[in-house]
Amino acid sequence: MDFDFPEDIVNARKKAQEFARKEINSEMAKKYDRLEKFPEELRKKAFEYGIIDYQNPWSMLVTIEELCRADAGLGISATVSLFGAEVIMLFGSDEQKQKYLSMVQNGDKIMGLAVTEPGGGSDVAGITTRAVEKDGKYIVNGAKMFITNGTIADFFVMLIRTEEVEGKRHHGLSAFIVDSDLPGFTKNKLSGKLGVRATNTAELILDNVPVPKENLIGEPGKGFYYIMTFFNISRAYVAAQAIGIAQGALDRILEHLNRLTKEGKTALAEEVQFLASDIATRIEASRLLAYKAASYLFQFRPNPTLTSMAKAYASETATFAAEKALEITGYSGITGDLERFFRDSKIMEIWEGTSEIEKLIIARNLLKEYAEVNQ
Amino acid sequence: MSMEEQDLLRSAVKEFAQKSIQDKALKIEHEGVDKALLQSLASQGFLGARIPEKYGGSGIDLHGYLTIVNELATFSPSVAALVMLVNSVHAPLIGDSEPEVMKKLASGEATVSTSLSDVLEGNFSATSLKKNGSNLKGAVNLSSLYRGEYAIALNRDDGHLYLFKDGVKGVEEDSGLSFRGLSNGSLEIDSSDYTVLSEKGEDALKAVVDNLDLEVAALALGTAKGALDKAIDYVKVRKTFERPLKDYGPVASALSRHMAEYLALSSYLESVDENDSRAKLTLKVLSVDLAKRATKAALQYHGGYGYIEDTGVEKFYRDAMGLSILFQRPHHDSMRLSKEIFGEKSGYL
Ligand SMILES: Cc1cc2nc3c(=O)[nH]c(=O)nc-3n(C[C@H](O)[C@H](O)[C@H](O)COP(=O)(O)OP(=O)(O)OC[C@H]3O[C@@H](n4cnc5c(N)ncnc54)[C@H](O)[C@@H]3O)c2cc1C
Repeated sequence: MDFDFPEDIVNARKKAQEFARKEINSEMAKKYDRLEKFPEELRKKAFEYGIIDYQNPWSMLVTIEELCRADAGLGISATVSLFGAEVIMLFGSDEQKQKYLSMVQNGDKIMGLAVTEPGGGSDVAGITTRAVEKDGKYIVNGAKMFITNGTIADFFVMLIRTEEVEGKRHHGLSAFIVDSDLPGFTKNKLSGKLGVRATNTAELILDNVPVPKENLIGEPGKGFYYIMTFFNISRAYVAAQAIGIAQGALDRILEHLNRLTKEGKTALAEEVQFLASDIATRIEASRLLAYKAASYLFQFRPNPTLTSMAKAYASETATFAAEKALEITGYSGITGDLERFFRDSKIMEIWEGTSEIEKLIIARNLLKEYAEVNQ
Repeated sequence: MSMEEQDLLRSAVKEFAQKSIQDKALKIEHEGVDKALLQSLASQGFLGARIPEKYGGSGIDLHGYLTIVNELATFSPSVAALVMLVNSVHAPLIGDSEPEVMKKLASGEATVSTSLSDVLEGNFSATSLKKNGSNLKGAVNLSSLYRGEYAIALNRDDGHLYLFKDGVKGVEEDSGLSFRGLSNGSLEIDSSDYTVLSEKGEDALKAVVDNLDLEVAALALGTAKGALDKAIDYVKVRKTFERPLKDYGPVASALSRHMAEYLALSSYLESVDENDSRAKLTLKVLSVDLAKRATKAALQYHGGYGYIEDTGVEKFYRDAMGLSILFQRPHHDSMRLSKEIFGEKSGYL
């Protein structure tokens, strides 16, 4: 067993750190947070710098971690423009890959994934946005809520109900590529988020939107399965976002304590030392979980139990670290980066499967495995 | 004030808050407490609750005052914090030295910008005011109510605590993590009309902050309650997997336990003896801790909606965190509590 990354991933991390040092700073993070503005320039620069490469998932994972370590709002914005691409990569047709993936892979266009609805996000099978076939098109009606890249994406991978299957709610759902400039498609930006305010979030309203038949991804009725497969991948990346936030909080605690000690202003209380070591330990444990889950995933033998463990644990580590960081740094934390880290971190426990949903998945899988072995 | 009187007062504050704060809570977060609200708080007798009647205050007793802070916080922790600042920071610091200022405070005609950062930061380094003849000039970091007509500030150079009556200019800054309705900003002072409130300014400020135990407890409990009320209402109607959220064990038990803790601490607060320093400190430490946990759970059970300000729950989460930093000295309080328990200085290493 080797716990060290190969050289190319070590270099990818270094390059991402270098990019973050050059392009992200507190002033800028503060400004985009205050204005709730998407950092399009930064996103473009990240592509130009060569750190966004979805063909190389390990390098993407460490890049996300390092950019979120600098700032989550900016880091996520710079790395999320291909959100949902794996659904097309894994289940899309060659034409769809050619037409849609090629333009997001080089950073020219932005995409999003639209699953959650005003009526619910955890209960994916409960969605009500509907598509009906008419004149060779699917006519879509409904609404999607809290969609990242909502007002800036050129297209979305969208989960839509195409059929009611009595007693089987997760059947009859299909995944589509929906261009954002279709008639009847309205996007309303959601402002006033607690954190990750540089990211773009919107409500999408679909009023008789005509989606070409060829934009159906894979087979009709298989959408639920495609989306769950996607979440098993994307949750590893959310774990990386969360680890980045936690590490960024720890960096700032150490910087603060180092400064105070140098200035002779404080003797390091044991309570503070214990907190710092708890945070560092949790970060290390989160990394081990996330890298293990990713290693299964990137070898095409995903382990959803591990992925959910990584996502839930890393997310809770992020909120723990940010909260304790503010407690330790007090006034200087509240006036610096850490108050933003505190606000940003909370989203980790909510999006792409809340902590509660991850725990339900873990328990369900454990019981299933037990039953299989002991039947 | 008897329990019955406290109940009556609580109903009156609630009715007032439903009418004058509830629908404006988000606006207060964005724009601060406006003059109209300030004056209606004053006309109800809430704003100057503890200010002596000779200055136009209502001279309410401690428990009545805590009821006001607590109930206001369930609607807007910022409004409750403002009432707390006026009664428990500004009024005691100004005392009898400036009757006219006290009258204006009680009537809502004027507010006082204050920075507690020097004492809370623990390193007494923020403010430096230069004397030029009889004029004092300089900048004050992070001040609440930065648009105030007056300002209280500590001067690093001579260690005095000043009340500035002219030449106070507020500078708007980022809204900050918490108590956004208090309008946090910085100050530029260029004043020749001021009063020295204390020559040992740092000690005076510390004494005031350390005397906030029960007010902070009331504020923390109101903050917890505001968030829990919202979450409890929400999980009754929000359905996932075709069932209301309240039917799921972890949801119901987390919210019920937090509410049970709230109720236990509230009844402790209602009857606490104001001379019992251990009880006061215990209430503060436990209430702030509850506020942080309860507001986090309340936000979480709102799912994505909890993350958006329109829902009105995320402010409680921010304010609970800010409370422990802006109006409390947690490390100092831990040591105070240890001293209460061990009977001698403990826990300082
Ligand atoms: C900033 C932001 C960006 C987002 N981006 C996207 C995006 O790009 N695409 C997209 O599709 N969605 C997106 N989301 C939506 C997000 O994934 C959902 O908010 C999340 O899945 C939860 O769904 P919900 O908000 O409907 O909460 P609900 O499903 O209503 O859940 C509410 C609460 O109940 C808990 N709960 C639910 N069921 C149970 C149960 N059985 N037992 C115990 N507890 C339970 C949940 O954990 C949660 O705490 C985003 C959300 C935000 C805030």
